[in-house]
Amino acid sequence: MRGRPEAGWGKTAVMAMAEKFDSLEEHLEKFVENIRQLGIIVSDFQPSSQAGLNQKLNFMVTGLQDIDKCRQQLHDISVPLEVFEYIDQGRNPQLYTKECLERALAKNEQVKGKIDTMKKFKSLLIQELTKVFPEDMAKYKAIRGEDPPP
Amino acid sequence: SRQGGAVGRPRAGHAGKMENFSALFGGAEPPPAAAAALGFGPAKAPGAGAAPPPAAAAAPPPGEDAARKAAAGPFYLLRELPGTTELTGSTNLITHYNLEHAYNKFCGKKVKEKLSNFLPDLPGMIDLPGSHDNSSLRSLIEKPPICGSSFTPLTGTMLTGFRLHAGPLPEQCRLMHIQPPKKKNKHKHKQSRTQDPVPPETPSDSDHKKKKKKKEEDPERKRKKKEKKKKKNRHSPEHPGVGSSQASSSSSLR
Repeated sequence: MRGRPEAGWGKTAVMAMAEKFDSLEEHLEKFVENIRQLGIIVSDFQPSSQAGLNQKLNFMVTGLQDIDKCRQQLHDISVPLEVFEYIDQGRNPQLYTKECLERALAKNEQVKGKIDTMKKFKSLLIQELTKVFPEDMAKYKAIRGEDPPP
Repeated sequence: SRQGGAVGRPRAGHAGKMENFSALFGGAEPPPAAAAALGFGPAKAPGAGAAPPPAAAAAPPPGEDAARKAAAGPFYLLRELPGTTELTGSTNLITHYNLEHAYNKFCGKKVKEKLSNFLPDLPGMIDLPGSHDNSSLRSLIEKPPICGSSFTPLTGTMLTGFRLHAGPLPEQCRLMHIQPPKKKNKHKHKQSRTQDPVPPETPSDSDHKKKKKKKEEDPERKRKKKEKKKKKNRHSPEHPGVGSSQASSSSSLR
């Protein structure tokens, strides 16, 4: 791990995480399918279906056991609570990711604008002060040790 | 300026009033001409137009203050700049954290609104709000169900509690929201499924279901047609065999 470059280590970690998610996804899909079949059996039950029903019920328990085992591998994963709001409203959770990225970009642009404006103001202020108070501004620059204004 | 005007231009008849005015606000001091012209108070430091220091709410310790003043020279309000960081808001954070791919994926293309577009294989009416059928994730977090620490398989005695009566469920209890999972060409194997009950159509699945129904009904239709044809053939007088036996039976009844 020490000898590998950062990009390679990142890819390996991502692949390992993807495998854990795939495993959980597979178990969940099997569980949901089992429940769906259980519902079908129950909706029009026949005496001959009792054995199958019992099997499905036990598979439900083992399915929950498998899902519980997956939980240990994913204990470090955090899910933002806001995503649950989207899911509870029947909305695609990818919309949350999209809105997060858009908000981050908008805020980034806003802060960049502020920083750039403040930098321009600073340089203009130093420039004008240098015209009015050249000696004092020279002392100021010597104290600060900053770059001279453009 | 009023005060300066009052001092600079004493008027006859107003002397008594000005005295009262002076008494109210204390002795009028002649302000320096430059400061008065600018509207500032008396300047303490000569030369540079340094304003009198305002009263600081939190005064720094005297030792630090003196050291700072000595280093700052005439700029006694000069403070140390905050530490500089490489990462600020002026950096494109999406590029910095290698999120361009994610940004293009989520913001470049149109993301579908419904939850069923994200989970197409999940059965049930998942596009409805969770509050309708008390299946919200929020309620699960706020009021987690009380359960044991481990999952134990059901024994034979326990399974006797799941012996059901034969026959269809009453309409009230029917799981009408079950939808057959949408088939997609994936590498995952498909499990064998029994025949599904006819669910109600939804706007998103109507086309897909219609196609499925047509496919399912076509062989059934063919069988039914064949059966009907056979029945017709049996009952028609043209065909011998069964038809004749029926004719004979009918004649015997008479």
